[in-house]
This record gives sequence, C-alpha cells and structure tokens, in this order.
Amino acid sequence: MSDKIPGRRGPILEVPLPTEAISVRRKPAGEPASFFGRMNYNLQFIRGRGALEISIVLVVLLAGYVIASLISPTGFAFLNPNNLSGVISQSVPVLAILGLAAGILMIAGEFDLSLGANITLSAIVFIKTSEAAGLWLGIAAGIGTGVAVALVNGIIVVYTKIPSFIATLGMSFFWMGAGIFINGTSPAALTTSREGTMEYLFAHNFGSFRSQLVWLLIIGVLAWFFMHRHKLGNHIFAVGGNPAAAEAISIKSKQVKLMSFAIFGGLVGFAAILIAVRTSSIQPGGTATEDFTLFAIAAAVVGGTSLTGGRGSVIGIIVGAALIELIRNGLLLAKAPGFYITLFVGVTIVIAAIFNKLMEGKAR
Amino acid sequence: MSEALLRIEGVSKKYGPNTVLNDVSFEIGKGEVVGLLGDNGAGKSTLVKIMSGVVDSTVGDFFWDGQKIDKMNRNVTERLGVETIFQDSALVPQMTITRNIFMGREVTNRFGFMKMKEMDAVAADVLDSVVTIEGIKSPKQLVSSLSGGQAQAVAIARAVHFKRSLLILDEPTSALAVRATEALLGYLTQLKGEGVSSVLVTHNLHHAFQVCDRHIVMNHGKKIMDARREDTSVEELTAAVVEGAVGLARFRQGTF
Repeated sequence: MSDKIPGRRGPILEVPLPTEAISVRRKPAGEPASFFGRMNYNLQFIRGRGALEISIVLVVLLAGYVIASLISPTGFAFLNPNNLSGVISQSVPVLAILGLAAGILMIAGEFDLSLGANITLSAIVFIKTSEAAGLWLGIAAGIGTGVAVALVNGIIVVYTKIPSFIATLGMSFFWMGAGIFINGTSPAALTTSREGTMEYLFAHNFGSFRSQLVWLLIIGVLAWFFMHRHKLGNHIFAVGGNPAAAEAISIKSKQVKLMSFAIFGGLVGFAAILIAVRTSSIQPGGTATEDFTLFAIAAAVVGGTSLTGGRGSVIGIIVGAALIELIRNGLLLAKAPGFYITLFVGVTIVIAAIFNKLMEGKAR
Repeated sequence: MSEALLRIEGVSKKYGPNTVLNDVSFEIGKGEVVGLLGDNGAGKSTLVKIMSGVVDSTVGDFFWDGQKIDKMNRNVTERLGVETIFQDSALVPQMTITRNIFMGREVTNRFGFMKMKEMDAVAADVLDSVVTIEGIKSPKQLVSSLSGGQAQAVAIARAVHFKRSLLILDEPTSALAVRATEALLGYLTQLKGEGVSSVLVTHNLHHAFQVCDRHIVMNHGKKIMDARREDTSVEELTAAVVEGAVGLARFRQGTF
C-alpha cells in the first residue's frame, strides 16, 4: 500500500520506537460528526489567514448599503444601475487586480513602490502602440512594458539586496521620467482606436456590470489556482515565509522573486490597459495613477496579506479591494466632503493592519 | 572495505584574512551517526555549510561513495541526498504541515497543479508512521501552531520520507524540551537501521555521546579529535571541547 503512494521512494520506517517519551501515539485525526463541530474543526486550520474575517466585514457593510439604498433610493443610490455599473464594476476590478499584483509580490516578501509610475508608462505605451499598430499589438506592448519595468526593478532588488522599498521608490521617479521622455508632457490619448473591439473588451457597459468585472473574475480564478494550488505559487509562499527554509530544500529564491516581480508587472500592465481605456487619456507624470501605489498595497493589507511576506490569500485581497472601494463609494453617495474619503480609507487600513498583527499572534 | 558515504580531505576555508577551517579531513560512513562537537567559533557551522553546499571551501576535496565530486554546491548536494536541518529555520511557519513536507517536491499533475488530497493523505501517513509526534491533530495545521520539538520532528520526518542519504542536524536539541530531545535522539539511532547517515552538530556532549557512533571535535578551525564511541568518554570529549588540543593532551596524560 505505502509503496503506491506517490512521492514515496521506499518503504516507511516501521521500527517500534524505543524510549518511553515517544511511545504515546498521536490519536488518529477524526473529524467531528456534527455539522458545527466539523465547521469549527475546519475553521481552526484556516484561522489566521484573514480571508474569512474580512469577508464577514464586507458582507455586513454590503448588507447595510443595500438596506440603506432600499429605504432611501434617492438619498443613498447604491443600488442604482449607474452606480453599480459605472462606479462599482469599474473601480473595484482595477483596484483588485492591482491589489493582487502588490499582494503576490508582498507574499514573496517584496514591495514595488513604482506601481503607479509603471501604470503610467505601460498605459502610454499601450495607447501609442494601439493608435499606431492596432489593438492586439497595443495589448502586448502594454503588458510587456509592465513586465519589463517590474523585472528591471526585480533584478535590482534581488541582485543588489537593497531593500525593495528603497530601490523601487527610487526607480518610480525614473519610470515617471521615462513616461514623459517617450510622450512629452501633454496627455497621451486614445482617439479612433478606442471604438469597437477595444471598448467592448475593456470598458463595455452590459447594463448592471462592465467588462472589467468579467476580467476580475477571470484573473481572480487564475490567480487563486496559481497561488493556492500550483507548485510555483507554493514556492512564492515558501520564499516569502522563510527564505532560508526554502533555500535549504533547493527552491531558488532569486528566481522565485523574479517570477513574482514578472507576475506583478503583467498584472499592472493589464490594469494599466483597463485604466487607459476607461479614461481614454493618460497624463505623464500625473498623480491620478500615482495614488494606486498605496491603494493597491492597502487592498492587500486589508485583505490579510502580511507585510513581512509568506501570508495572504487571493480571495482576501479581492475582498480587501472591494471593501476599500465600497467605503469610498458609500462616502461619495452620502455626499461626504472629499477629504473624508482619504481619512476613512486611512483609518480602515490602520485598523486592518492592527487586525492582521493580532491574527499573526493568534496563529502562532 | 566499503567506501565511506562522504569523505572530505584537506578542507580549508578563509574569509578574507581569517582562516575559519584549517586542513580538515574526515569520513562519514554509511549508516553512521557522527557527532560534530566544538565550542562557538570552532568552525562547525562553516563545515556544515560546506557539506550542505551552501558555501564553497577555499581548498579541499570531496568524495561521495568513493567518487570524487568536483564542486559541492546546492545542485550536487540535492542530487546526492544531503539534507540540512537548521535549528529553527527548517520549516515555513505560515504554511501547513503538508505544504512544508512537500515544499519543493510537490506532488503535481503534469501542469504543475498540486494534488492536495493525495499530499494530505501522505502527510498524515508520514506523521503517523515515520516519526511519532505527539499532539498534532492534522497535516492541515499551520506549522506556526506547533512547538519547537514538533516542528523539528516534522522536518526530520520529511527528510526520511524523501529518502535522503545524509542528514545534517545543526543544533537540533538546543530549543527542545527534555522529552522532545529524548524522542529526537531515539529517532536518530533508528535512522541507522534505514541506512541513513547523520551528522549531529551540538554543544551538548551528553546528547552526542548518547547516540553518536563517532565523535569529531573541532577547535579553532582544526580537527583535534576523531574517535569512535568505544575509544573515548564524556570526560575526554569535555576536555577536548573546553580546553582544545592542550586539554586533550593533558587529559590523556592524566593531568586534566
């Protein structure tokens, strides 16, 4: 029997254990019979990973919004199709995809603070290429730029061992300058090429949702399978959690980190395309895209990603992004002054970080 | 006569002007438990890193089963089956026991996706039969919820499961409770029966003396003693570890 188990290269050691200290055998792990017992049994293994707790917060908030909107459809127009389609299903997917990018890199134990500059540069390259050579080359160029920018950052971080915070902060100014260098200071704008396929693919209004939401679903499912079920995702968790242990077992941590940077770049490049098609124009050196850097990291942190690497979940990050955008949307609908939004998002992030810290303690 | 599993000859290591290892040679036999003893700064850790392929030696030759190895690096040691279990960095605390056991050696389909159920089942089996570890409820538990002894045992179980041929344990008992230490030492003696060689690096002479077939004592980067258990005593080892070559000579003259 045991010989047939994959991964086993020979019979197991079955010598009876000699000393008294180890003669007490572990009780076989029987799962409790009752439904709640079983649920609690399973819960204790997923505790400390964040996705569950943050999902509860999201559901409660969402329920509150729906009730408020049903009571006062005009005063708090959350369920209005224009809000659902125009705001929620445009803003949540972009932040969630960027959150996944930042989160995957954080799980690997690194940061990339040039995320915003990367968006600007990738979007400019996407716009210029699609205008000149058509949509498909434009998509390839946009995503390619995102990957290239992140890989350059990654190579600097991995081979010089400079903390990624500093290296990528410095590089963010470089990439911002690069955007102005290739485009000049006037905005890069999509004109005729936006019509048709491009609009349909990346920003089409299907009534109560938009194309972006479909992309989030696709990317979310792919990311989940990659991070939580693929061996390469497993290696990312291992390298971020304990690089020495991963190295000791012959996982090449430099390669894994570079791969994480490349995935980060690909996702940022894709998000840049979504942003470019939505807004039709990108201002080089502008601050609109810069804000995404910290919001993406915030989404990851709110979703339970550890700031020191090794812990996080795809579902948690997406829920974290949704939570931030919902709070933003709610304050907007309640006609709160603009600075309230920044203020509340800031408080949410700090509370989430404290919560994370507590959970790390609990898991230990 | 059968060849030694690993034989190292004339290994030296310099870090800049500092010589940390000076012309060290020894053998590790098949199925042998070798104690690598010495005070802090004796060169034990450097030797461990060289044997596990993490750092290069400045000079020295390595023979595996009689075959000369050009260079001990991670790829070579991985292929030969050398596994080093460092004191507290053997496992990833944020991951489950299953994922730790299969880390880097995942059971996957041909697209690289992991077969979680199969891995969980094997992990449960490993926890049950390879090494008996008290208090572990499920292989889905996070390693951060385990005690130091349990985590150490999981790391050893992993190495045995994957049929590693040489286990290097770097100070494995320093963070363990008495019972866990007993279990660990008892377990090392069983590895011999499996043909697994092990090197036990430790400060604790009593632990080493209990299980090791042979003792190698290092002092200031030099090997000052290499004796089978039956040819030495805890007292002699103590003299060698504490007072170095001088102490060893005095012990042998009876003036220690």
